[in-house]
Amino acid sequence: MAGGPPKALPSTGPHSLRDMPHPLAGSSSEEAMGGDSTPSPDLLMARSFGDKDLILPNGGTPAGTSSPASSSSLLNRLQLDDDADGETRDLFVTVDDPKKHVCTMETYITYRITTKSTRVEFDLPEYSVRRRYQDFDWLRNKLEESQPTHLIPPLPEKFVVKGVVDRFSEEFVETRRKALDKFLKRITDHPVLSFNEHFNVFLTAKDLNAYKKQGIALLTRVGESVKHVTGGYKLRSRPLEFAAIGDYLDTFALKLGTIDRIAQRIIKEEIEYLVELREYGPVYSTWSALEGELAEPLEGVSACIGNCSTALEELTEDMTEDFLPVLREYILYSDSMKSVLKKRDQVQAEYEAKLEAVALRKEERPKVPADVEKCQDRMECFNADLKADMERWQNNKRQDFRQLLMGLADKNIQYYEKCLMAWESIIPLLQEKQEAK
Amino acid sequence: MEQLSPDPERQLQPAPQEPLGGPDAVLEAAAGEEAEGAGPQDSGGDAMAENNFWLKKIEISVSEAEKRTGRNAMNMQETYTAYLIETRSVEHADGQSVLTDSLWRRYSEFELLRNYLLVYYPHIVVPPLPEKRAEFVWHKLSADNMDPDFVERRRIGLENFLLRVASHPILCRDKIFYLFLTQEGNWKETVNETGFQLKADSRLKALNATFRVKNPDKRFTEIKHYSDELQSVISHLLRVRARVADRLYGVYKVHGNYGRVFSEWSAIEKEMGDGLQSAGHHMDVYASSIDDILEDEEHYADQLKEYLFYAEALRAVCRKHELMQYDLEMAAQDLASKKQQCEELATGTVRTFSLKGMTTKLFGQETPEQREARIKVLEEQINEGEQQLKSKNLEGREFVKNAWADIERFKDQKNRDLKEALISYAVMQISMCKKGIQVWTNAKECFSKM
Repeated sequence: MAGGPPKALPSTGPHSLRDMPHPLAGSSSEEAMGGDSTPSPDLLMARSFGDKDLILPNGGTPAGTSSPASSSSLLNRLQLDDDADGETRDLFVTVDDPKKHVCTMETYITYRITTKSTRVEFDLPEYSVRRRYQDFDWLRNKLEESQPTHLIPPLPEKFVVKGVVDRFSEEFVETRRKALDKFLKRITDHPVLSFNEHFNVFLTAKDLNAYKKQGIALLTRVGESVKHVTGGYKLRSRPLEFAAIGDYLDTFALKLGTIDRIAQRIIKEEIEYLVELREYGPVYSTWSALEGELAEPLEGVSACIGNCSTALEELTEDMTEDFLPVLREYILYSDSMKSVLKKRDQVQAEYEAKLEAVALRKEERPKVPADVEKCQDRMECFNADLKADMERWQNNKRQDFRQLLMGLADKNIQYYEKCLMAWESIIPLLQEKQEAK
Repeated sequence: MEQLSPDPERQLQPAPQEPLGGPDAVLEAAAGEEAEGAGPQDSGGDAMAENNFWLKKIEISVSEAEKRTGRNAMNMQETYTAYLIETRSVEHADGQSVLTDSLWRRYSEFELLRNYLLVYYPHIVVPPLPEKRAEFVWHKLSADNMDPDFVERRRIGLENFLLRVASHPILCRDKIFYLFLTQEGNWKETVNETGFQLKADSRLKALNATFRVKNPDKRFTEIKHYSDELQSVISHLLRVRARVADRLYGVYKVHGNYGRVFSEWSAIEKEMGDGLQSAGHHMDVYASSIDDILEDEEHYADQLKEYLFYAEALRAVCRKHELMQYDLEMAAQDLASKKQQCEELATGTVRTFSLKGMTTKLFGQETPEQREARIKVLEEQINEGEQQLKSKNLEGREFVKNAWADIERFKDQKNRDLKEALISYAVMQISMCKKGIQVWTNAKECFSKM
């Protein structure tokens, strides 16, 4: 651990966030700090998305305008976040029903987005809208802008570089639909992102384009301020926590990349194996035509190999459509997370630099200048958001990969079971005593 | 051309019984029972000993292979493999086997034996030898004749060859075959002394006959056609199978990479680590399982190869028939032409062109005495020709009868063997599927614990 900023203010430096007092910590939320039995204190440091509608449980108003407001009204909702069973979930979003639209200028696909919610932010209990990929792209950009301290889930790749893939093929559209569905569900599950105004509009607006044109920037204070952080400052020392996260993401992305390449290689080998099988089976048929007593057994073997070929084809399709895209998504995810980490570094660097500048000015004033305090708060909020999101991300990642890899194993088991059945069924045929011809 | 019939001199008495199954099979010789109507008893004291020999159960095995160096015909150093052939006789009473003979032979000596059998038993579908050079190889399999796996498969193939010969009701009684198993030194000389090489049909003659024969037995023509197609289809099958094996190998081996990367990944994970690590281990097991699987499959390929080569032997019998038939047709044609010549000379009419006719025109008529002489010669030739034709006809019919009997025997053997081969292939596939299910189920369980 390198030396911290000189004459550090009490709340700066590479402390564990758990030990840091909340900038806005008043007596009411103090008891919620530190205790391990309560939800992570970090969860309490959620940011709000706007100054309006801010209701604190103790009826107070946001403390001061210089610090970003913490909305403890979200406390209840945050506790709900940990419930994966959906009992207490109040927002459900689904992507389905892809449709092709042919216009003079272009052809594209839209998907139906169905929203069901009891949240007050939604005027109606149910919505159904149609969106296309560029709408999702717009949403993601807006989320990144307005919630720069959070990890925004990735979108499936915009362009398909492989060349041979048909953008309008059933398989491609289905793969994309699943990924878009996943994208929205991840946002839905996020305690902060799910309340984002742009997200709301995305789910509900009849005419999204009109809204886009308005260019309404509903940035949070933090969002606004983070946006303007200059990148010129050099970070002195990254908190251990974030350094570890950075290292982890580096290795993680690397390993996923390797797995992606291996999976692609396996699919390629399996396809080549399939090509040979498709030639192999029919030769037994040809032979069968020459024979008398052996005709049926040989024909049986030919059919059997045909069945195995079909099973193999299904396996390779599943791998391509279900396994690879999820891997790629996570690689994109970790890339975008790394950008957020960088941004965090910049925020910290700026703060430290300003702090140092103040210290060097040799002023005796004990009061910390407002803008330095602003920087500190900005950094601390960022750290808190990021930490919370990382934990959530780790949990989801674990579940996602458990499911993904079990699915991989399942597909292979099913393939072998199909082949086993085919071969077992011809044994009696082969053993049959043929009548003398 | 002299026809070689199943020569009693070549045969040992008495004939053994049923055909054999797999390796280490036992040849049972029952005293006094004649399967094929054996000819007159072989004279000489040897016969008695031979009788006793064949009365007991015989076990033949090619039990070992050894690399040797020696000097070849051009006095150059060469490396070759020698195979140990052991013959055991099994006492009926207690089932104990006693080693009666053991000697070393190399592949070329097997070839010599087979070539001999081909010449002296043209009506028999002679069992083939394992391939001389490795063919239909997929990339992991060595094409090197000295490779231990190849040598091992060859050893099995040679044993199979001997067992096939030993279980053939006619071939097993051959003296040269018996000597092959029992007389190490001098055997080559003994075989060559039979002069079989000289008696072999020239390939050119055989080819000629195939094209020109007018009335071959339709059944043989069909069988020849069948053997061509069989050869073609099995070749194709073996080629594609080799490619399939290659690809399958690739699929399995790449999975091994999962093992490595899961292990590396598990190092940076907390809760997920153990599950990943142990799943990776199963991927390694999966990748390495393909070696045994494909080794077993080579056995199936060898079984197919045997019948690929058997097709060649089948065709040889058909060609022999065509040759004999052609020979018969030529002899009949020759006889007819001589008869006609004779008739013309006798009646004085010249219907056919002859050199004599030409010279008569050019140099004048021949004297009555000359003509008489010529008629006499022709009549003698005609007589001889008729005798020959008769015996050729008889030989031809004998050949067709015996050859067709062996072809029927071969057909049954082929159907039985190939069915067994297909069954064992299916069993191999089933085993492979079950192993696959096992490994992936284990991996799935590891993943579930992540």
